[in-house]
Amino acid sequence: MMKKTLVMMLALIMSFSVFLAACGGNDDDSSNSGNSGNDGDEPYEIIWYTIGTPQKDTDKVFEHLNEYLVDKINATVKMTQIDWGDYMKKMQIKINSGEKFDIAYIAGSEYLLNARKGAFLDMGELLDQYGQETKAILDPAFLEGPLVNGTLYGLPANKEIGQQSVYLFNKSLVEKYEMDIASINSLADLDPYLAAVQQNEPDFQPMATFKPYLPFDYILGDELPFAIRLDGDQTKIVNFYEEPETMEILKVMHDYYDKGYLVGDAGTSDDPWPLEVENWFVRKEMYQPTAELQWARSAGYDLVMQPMHQPITFNGSLMGSMQAISSTSENPQKAMEFLNLLNTDPYVRATVDKGIKGVHYEELEGGKIKDIMPARDNYRVPTYSLGNHFILPLYENDPENKWELFQEFNDDSIAAPTIGFYFDAENVKNEIAAIENVRGEFAKIILHGAVDPEEFIPMATKKFEDAGMNVVMEEMQAQYTAWLAEQE
Amino acid sequence: MEEKKKQKKKAYNPHQMSRTSNVILNVLMAILAFVCIFPFIYVIIISFSDKSSIASEGFQLIPSSWSLEAYRYLWSIKDALFNAYAVTILVTVLGTIISVMLISFYAYAISRKEFQYRKQFTFIAFFTMLFSGGLVPTYIVITQMLKLQDTIWALILPLAINAFWIIMMRTFFKQSVPEGVLESARIDGASELRIFFQIVLPLSLPAIATIALFSTLGYWNDWFNALLYIENPNLVPLQHFLMKIENNLEFLRNNPLISNQVQSTASIPKDTAQMAIVVVSTLPIALAYPFFQRYFVAGLTVGSVKE
Repeated sequence: MMKKTLVMMLALIMSFSVFLAACGGNDDDSSNSGNSGNDGDEPYEIIWYTIGTPQKDTDKVFEHLNEYLVDKINATVKMTQIDWGDYMKKMQIKINSGEKFDIAYIAGSEYLLNARKGAFLDMGELLDQYGQETKAILDPAFLEGPLVNGTLYGLPANKEIGQQSVYLFNKSLVEKYEMDIASINSLADLDPYLAAVQQNEPDFQPMATFKPYLPFDYILGDELPFAIRLDGDQTKIVNFYEEPETMEILKVMHDYYDKGYLVGDAGTSDDPWPLEVENWFVRKEMYQPTAELQWARSAGYDLVMQPMHQPITFNGSLMGSMQAISSTSENPQKAMEFLNLLNTDPYVRATVDKGIKGVHYEELEGGKIKDIMPARDNYRVPTYSLGNHFILPLYENDPENKWELFQEFNDDSIAAPTIGFYFDAENVKNEIAAIENVRGEFAKIILHGAVDPEEFIPMATKKFEDAGMNVVMEEMQAQYTAWLAEQE
Repeated sequence: MEEKKKQKKKAYNPHQMSRTSNVILNVLMAILAFVCIFPFIYVIIISFSDKSSIASEGFQLIPSSWSLEAYRYLWSIKDALFNAYAVTILVTVLGTIISVMLISFYAYAISRKEFQYRKQFTFIAFFTMLFSGGLVPTYIVITQMLKLQDTIWALILPLAINAFWIIMMRTFFKQSVPEGVLESARIDGASELRIFFQIVLPLSLPAIATIALFSTLGYWNDWFNALLYIENPNLVPLQHFLMKIENNLEFLRNNPLISNQVQSTASIPKDTAQMAIVVVSTLPIALAYPFFQRYFVAGLTVGSVKE
């Protein structure tokens, strides 16, 4: 019996190894043919994954574009879009299984995670070799921010580098009550206007639910108690809940909650406030140049805004949209050459973004463009995730100086202290998980003003400490100090 | 005569319960049934509500205004929706047939004492119940070794064999198909295939019906394989298609600046559309279930044999 089992097992194992060997052989073949892909040979097919709902005309657009690309760099591109909700799940398994592809859209923490794992090739090196033009046009902040252990692993889309929180107001109410919103400098300044709306406009909630702006550079998201002050001592990591400004602002927030400016379930609710529903007076949004036009288009009614602070460049805003070249790519050179064209050649960029000229969009006199409907609805891809914004054509209703406005915004952005610093949480994973639980319990109710900060902030701090906040803080401070020293 | 008998039966029925307990039990069952079906009724109501009434009053049992907008939105994507339906139906029908065939073949083989390696093959099936290869190795096998990515087979084959059902079928064959029947068939000159198809299968209808039912539900509800292996929009099955719509609506609602870049008009009825999606994806299978169930119950009572 025993013997038979062994024989069976052996047979199985052998058949599997034959299978595997065959596959290994295949791999060798294909990588050879990939390496020999010099100019004059068959054009190399670049496989590119990017985010967004797959579009009907994608293949048509790329067939058109590929004619141009074959001439230029002897390569063709196959762009595959994966839906918003699926994208990271699917990419993660592609990366983990070592599937062959060339370029992928990636952003934020997923970029850091996969870059650390070695999923992407050194973008800095590739830029130097095949992407000098792109390197020249990129805002320098993009080359300094998203570094993992000193190396850039993704090519950020050249667009706004900073973040700016703004108050967005319903314009009809602002005009009706002749409010002077330009004079609003702090949360407390909103009080009289909110009161007016509350008294006279029963159909409107004076404030949509939002977290107030606090002047900190957060290390692990804006709810965990680790941050660096944007003004004052920038070498020390603090628990921002305990800082005096936080208390002051949250007191105002809680006062607003008590007065009924905020909805009653603001502390627990996850309900978004859709722009198209006109039932609010003021809300907080993240601004980028000309966003007001887009908001108004979404909303269907007029809006006005007032910035809360100067634009600030954070790590997060620098990693908002990147293209990375996979370490499984068989021809990184071609992939980089394509990315270079995508960021510097207006024709390539416009075709990828808007479709085929004369089919999906038409050029008007003076260089501005107009969508051709309904064809354009068969090819709508998210502009932000693809590449350089500054070489895109303008729409007829875009302001003439749209890209100058972006440039101004970038020039005005001040750099946050931690640009380029990423906390490695490996040693304090358990503490962070415990702190994460406390955050779930307290962060939202405190930051949305639902509870009295004088009572709840000390309570939360106590729980954060019990969960190991000080240990994490020490580790973080040590890493940060070391990083600061390295910078000099 | 007939009536009399009935009356007599009524007068003496050891299983009959008292009127009060009957009423109480019926009321309890009615409440239970209502609790089960209520959420679904609520979903249907929301799907017919007007989105502005939801925004102003929240979800209401009787909304202040009704609207077909959500279904109009689904109708506007009907080509893709019907295509997804077709894929799901194809996968479900084909998959159920393949799955029942493979499982009963495998189970029958290891149920026969004459098969020398039955213990080993039982063990191989059983082993996969204890240890699975994990997601990434499975993905590598299916995409890189078998090259099933973006084919209909990636939706069918991963679900075709189920070790638990194999073991169940094997036990069923062993217990309900007596050796004597097979032997007499053999004496009458039947080949192995004939024995299987004409004697064993008809005797095993209850088990096969059960497996077919579970496998149908499994294929109908499967979205995970599509998430992993399907990129071609024409091969997306219904459940995954609807899930994608829902995820996209959610994502775009949270990112108004991005939604501007990818939509020409911003007025998709989000809450109501989600509920309409649930209705559209659940209703057909809910309607089909009673028919299945009849067959299922009938199947269970078929096929006992006296030795």
